[in-house]
Amino acid sequence: MSILIDGLLAILAIYLALQSLLAPRLSQSVFLFFAFGLALALAWVRLGAVDVAITEAAIAAGFLGVLFLDALRDFSSTISEKHNNTEAIQSSASRKKIKTFLLPRLAFGVGLGLFLLISLEAIWQIPQGGGLTAAAESMLPESGVEHPVTAVLLNFRAYDTWLEIGVILLGLLAIFVTGGIKIYTKPDVVAKDPLLRQVILFFTPVLFLFGAFLLYIGKSGPGGAFQAAVLWGAIGILLHLGGKPVFAMIPRWVGQLVLIMGLGFFLLMGFVFMSGGATLFEYPKAYAGTLILIVETLAAISIAAALTAIYANLNQMKEEPKENESAN
Amino acid sequence: MEAYQIYSLTSAVLFAIGIGGVFASKHFIKKIIATIIMGGGVFLAFVSFAERDALNFADPVPHALVITGIVVAVASGAFALALARRIYQLTGEESFNNEK
Repeated sequence: MSILIDGLLAILAIYLALQSLLAPRLSQSVFLFFAFGLALALAWVRLGAVDVAITEAAIAAGFLGVLFLDALRDFSSTISEKHNNTEAIQSSASRKKIKTFLLPRLAFGVGLGLFLLISLEAIWQIPQGGGLTAAAESMLPESGVEHPVTAVLLNFRAYDTWLEIGVILLGLLAIFVTGGIKIYTKPDVVAKDPLLRQVILFFTPVLFLFGAFLLYIGKSGPGGAFQAAVLWGAIGILLHLGGKPVFAMIPRWVGQLVLIMGLGFFLLMGFVFMSGGATLFEYPKAYAGTLILIVETLAAISIAAALTAIYANLNQMKEEPKENESAN
Repeated sequence: MEAYQIYSLTSAVLFAIGIGGVFASKHFIKKIIATIIMGGGVFLAFVSFAERDALNFADPVPHALVITGIVVAVASGAFALALARRIYQLTGEESFNNEK
């Protein structure tokens, strides 16, 4: 029975991935991508990785899907026929042209098939190494938390997590540069839609509480900083859509402080304990649990702010070209 | 057949679909989606091996790595999206066009 569910889920994920690449309209692609992310999240629940499932559903399907949806307004909703309806071109083109098209396509197909076989073989051949489960389990009492994934993320491999917060910040900086420096202008439109206002009023406290719950429960069960950060980031995105962009309303230095808070505190704490003789990101055992909770809270706030800023910045990209065009 | 074997095979298929999509699809957004599907395949392989090596609980190290990986993939995807939108704004192109 469980094999049946797993098999169906695997087929569903493969089907959705194929369809999201083959769908003729861009909007279909994006929505099938949403569905693919959720199917993958279900697969992770089946594999016992609930933390990963929450992260996938929240960040990879949810947040990235929102960014894609936002980008759809930029690009025309149907793919231009010139570029992508190659089959239509082929059928209308002369026979001679089809022959020149056929060979590279055939080679591509065969190559892809061979690649698939090789990767299947490689996956099948990976030896049973035993992994690091036993090592993680023996060190778990010293980590200050009860949930093994949180222990790995914030204690055993804290360096990775610190760099990960940095990568998000780096992505935000890169997007700043791409979109031009002029950001966070106060919008003149305020949400007049009463429904949107009610949605914001209702969801802001719910999202905040649920995020705080996920953050705290990360100590003993699935949950943690990243999952909480996405929920809090959703508050920022909702407020932005409702005409109350958070970053435009607070002073610039406060926004910058919030953005670097998680990264900065993590590093500062690492250096402080390093001066006491420990290695970088090693916690004193007595208050490891408390310190992890503080680091997670600050990191979650920083990541939420960074996600909001990424969305706000991408959302504002569409207004810029008109000024450029008029200047040209 | 164990559950993890099904998902390891799926991960290889997803990776192949993704890499095919990166080459075959033209539009920027589809290319970005294809890279994320590739990433999904890699993460699925990681998590299925974590399940295989489970003792009292599944191996937490691949889980933590995958969570990190998802967030990094999303950050790079967002940056790619920003680049794609910028290219579209400046040139009006929605795909790499080698014919010009």
